Amino acid sequence: MVDVSQHELVPEHTVLEEEALEEVLEEYDIDRTDLPKIKRTDAALPDDAELGDVIKIVRDSRTTDQSVVYRYVVE
Amino acid sequence: MQDTTPKDIGSLSFGLMEPEEYREMSATKIITADTYDDDGFPIDMGLMDPRLGVIDPGLECKTCGKHSGSCNGHFGHIELAAPVIHVGFTKLIRRLLRGTCRECSKLLLTEDERDEFRDQLTESRKLSRDLNDVTKAAIRQARKKDRCPFCGEIQYDIDHEKPTTYYEVQQVLTSEYSQRIAGAMQGDEEEGVERTTPDELAEQTEIELTRVNEILSGSFRPRESQRKAIEKALDIDLTEEDTNKLMPSDIRDWFENIPDEDIEVLGINPERSRPEWMILTVLPVPPVTARPSITLDNGQRSEDDLTHKLVDIIRINQRFMENREAGAPQLIIEDLWELLQYHVTTFMDNEISGTPPARHRSGRPLKTLSQRLKGKEGRFRGSLSGKRVNFSARTVISPDPTLSMNEVGVPDRVAKEMTQTMNVTERNVADARRFVSNGPEGHPGANYVRRPDGRRLKVTEKNCEQLAEKIEAGWEVNRHLIDGDIVIFNRQPSLHRMSIMAHEVVVMPYKTFRLNTVVCPPYNADFDGDEMNMHALQNEEARAEARVLMRVQEQMLSPRFGENIIGAIQDHISGMYLLTHDNPRFNETQALDLLRATRIDELPDPSGVDDEGEPFWTGYDVFSELLPDDLNLEFTGTVGDEVVVEDGQLLKGTIAEDEVGEFGGEIVDTITKVYGNTRARIFVNEVSTLAMRAIMHFGFSIGIDDETIPGEAQARIDETIADANDRVEELIEAYENNELESLPGRTIDETLEMKIMQSLSRARDNAGNIADEHFQDDNPAVVMANSGARGSMLNLTQMAGAVGQQAVRGERINRGYEDRTLSHYEPNDLSAEAHGFVENSYTSGLTPREFFFHAMGGREGLVDTAVRTSKSGYLQRRLINALHELETQYDGTVRDSSDTIIQFEFGEDGTSPVKVSSDDDNDIDVDQIASRVLDSEFDSETERDEFLGTRPEPTNLSEHADDRLTDGTEVSSDD
Ligand SMILES: [Mg+2]
Ligand SMILES: [Zn+2]
Ligand SMILES: [Zn+2]
Repeated sequence: MVDVSQHELVPEHTVLEEEALEEVLEEYDIDRTDLPKIKRTDAALPDDAELGDVIKIVRDSRTTDQSVVYRYVVE
Repeated sequence: MQDTTPKDIGSLSFGLMEPEEYREMSATKIITADTYDDDGFPIDMGLMDPRLGVIDPGLECKTCGKHSGSCNGHFGHIELAAPVIHVGFTKLIRRLLRGTCRECSKLLLTEDERDEFRDQLTESRKLSRDLNDVTKAAIRQARKKDRCPFCGEIQYDIDHEKPTTYYEVQQVLTSEYSQRIAGAMQGDEEEGVERTTPDELAEQTEIELTRVNEILSGSFRPRESQRKAIEKALDIDLTEEDTNKLMPSDIRDWFENIPDEDIEVLGINPERSRPEWMILTVLPVPPVTARPSITLDNGQRSEDDLTHKLVDIIRINQRFMENREAGAPQLIIEDLWELLQYHVTTFMDNEISGTPPARHRSGRPLKTLSQRLKGKEGRFRGSLSGKRVNFSARTVISPDPTLSMNEVGVPDRVAKEMTQTMNVTERNVADARRFVSNGPEGHPGANYVRRPDGRRLKVTEKNCEQLAEKIEAGWEVNRHLIDGDIVIFNRQPSLHRMSIMAHEVVVMPYKTFRLNTVVCPPYNADFDGDEMNMHALQNEEARAEARVLMRVQEQMLSPRFGENIIGAIQDHISGMYLLTHDNPRFNETQALDLLRATRIDELPDPSGVDDEGEPFWTGYDVFSELLPDDLNLEFTGTVGDEVVVEDGQLLKGTIAEDEVGEFGGEIVDTITKVYGNTRARIFVNEVSTLAMRAIMHFGFSIGIDDETIPGEAQARIDETIADANDRVEELIEAYENNELESLPGRTIDETLEMKIMQSLSRARDNAGNIADEHFQDDNPAVVMANSGARGSMLNLTQMAGAVGQQAVRGERINRGYEDRTLSHYEPNDLSAEAHGFVENSYTSGLTPREFFFHAMGGREGLVDTAVRTSKSGYLQRRLINALHELETQYDGTVRDSSDTIIQFEFGEDGTSPVKVSSDDDNDIDVDQIASRVLDSEFDSETERDEFLGTRPEPTNLSEHADDRLTDGTEVSSDD
């Protein structure tokens, strides 16, 4: 099986720690369910990602160098 | 006057209504189907009962005391003789019947299962997903149970016969059980099944022999356990389906017993919606205002479709009650019950499949409740989202190059109809009086005035003089549109935001809206009969917003690609090309004439003196007058040469499409970004007027002779084409002798086709090149193609050289008859001619066969565009539906209406494409920005500071404020 998370086109996905998550939710003044979603079956997810986790994705961007987004893991 | 202030909507809740609620809100019970008595008065407790509201003006409502217009009407109610099913809920009723116990009405799920579905529901609610997925799964799970986990009752399948009949399907002992058992006991020799004696059967099934014999004789019906034993022993099926109809009253009783907490598991709020309320026992009667009767010319009353339907319902309801009281047989009662159900069903929805629609006496199907809401003309799409508006006008458009792009020419007859509300103050009372005294016919006049006490008076020719004297501060005057008013202008289809822009009014004679041709690209308008809409704005806030945000000049940069979409087009570009390409000379009169429609009224120093001693100005000099004094630019232009602008002087290059054109013309783009929209508007307006003057100075026309070539050139073209034909023949010969080598990855046939196509397209290019050699640079078609004004060299090639290969689906034409395209050719003729190669040019004329092939190719193009527009229209609609509620918030995030984040930073970088400099390679041209910043750093610092600090940002000015701006004096708003 190919591990797509190692592919150069797949941006870095990491599980967000509880403390960092609180900060993110605070910053945007939202519940975690208001974040964009990602399926638990998504091949890019790290192995330790579980339902209800929030994933931090760091993408290369043409205009801002790096852009950070967060996604909530759903069924 | 304002006694009906709009209120905020706190919340909305949806649910079912309880019968008692219907009764409580009812103004009266309706018991008689009659509407009016012989004297024409509404009958009490009839369908037109005066307590249901008033429709006749002058009468008073018996319930609320208000008059028609202010009374919204009041519901009544009908007590139904027997419960009936509400058609809107048939699916939910079926689900509940299948998911709950037929005996104790509990949901057929164990505690654990319930917990699981409850959790799923809360999760789905949080993620705002479709709850139906969960409740459907819950019902599916419940249906799997054969027995009730609480009372142990066997559960049967529920059959739903559309629209409103439900059956319980039970497996019961067939009436032919004795014959079937006897038959099976005979055995079957062919299949190798042995005979069974009654003794053996008794032994296998453990039933007493006497019972077996009784069963076999048909005098005893085996019990269920015995039946199963016999079925097992003989391997037969002794059951048949028995359907048991569930009457609405049965279903109602069943639902009444469903416990509240079981309903919650199905996502229903029991406080608001009890399932038994889906079975109607009381029918609300809509107020008369919702079904007004109309009086025809002959004095006869004509009733609304809803009233007709209600009459039917009441009639059947009465007959039902009479029959039941008289003790009629069950069959008749059931028939009447079904009839009542039919009428109530069609009252709510008259377009149910499988049910004949209720019809009017004339045969027209009745328009009942659901038909009023559904579809394009329905309440939602027709009356709520597609409302027609006041203060709007629509007419044909035509061009007017003397207008500014910010202006729109409005016909005087439109200006006199559409008004602006003027609040009279001490400062404008004189104007107001003048408008009113001009009356409704004179322009600029007024149509209505409103006194401080709120009374509205119509201004007429007769009363206008008198009225004008009475006008004081505090009045309101609805005056005509005048020059300088701001209006909104729109052309459908409104596909992007530049389809709706604000313009300043210029009142003009005749009947069309006039607009400057430079705004054609954003509206996608032309003047072959296009019509456009205009909307007059009705309050100061709207006018201010339109002026600041929506004016054409504010829309010069496209939010799609961040460059200007407004610029010179067509003849403007030809004109600029003629003016600058060879840098011609003009004497003083000519130069002044070229600039007469611009702000420039004094020429710069002449470029030189001609042979006769007269001073002259060049095309560059004239054009440079329009540029900002400190503009510096250097880029490769349309014609391929270098364009250099230094300190606002054009030094090198030709001005054409890439310089001042509509989609990213470099000079227009730079002026917009560096000097602001107002300066860019002035520039584009002046370029277009200068170009018109220039093209008129030189003269510009095109005719057949401009595309004809000398006979000698025609001979060379014929030769090229003959060569190509020979080459094709050679290829075909090689192919037929199997000498053709296939290209990698292609079959021989494909290789042949490709090679033929190649040589033919080369032939056309050669023909084009030969034709081109004979066209002078001043040939108008060449000028248009080179400058980018219209057309291309390919068009010219096809007109003068050869039209070339016609294609359908990217291949030579291969369709038509068997093995050939037309009956004019031999089968399997592979030649150029037989597959749609057009040797002739448009000027020389096509042969009939060429013409036919050309039409085939042309038809494909037409079909493609037709399909593309409908496809892309639908795609656009879906995109809009998906995206319209997204909004960029003050924290930079993009969220939808439920505050779910879509983007953490608008567009990932938080920048608007129109606020950022860009070039072909980079979305953001950092270099250019940096060099501009550095430039300003390095120069003499004090000068730069002064320059940067004091250069005023051009503000939103009215069209007529240009002069003040260019004077360099302080700018003040004039409105
Ligand atoms: Mg048109
Ligand atoms: Zn009323
Ligand atoms: Zn039960």
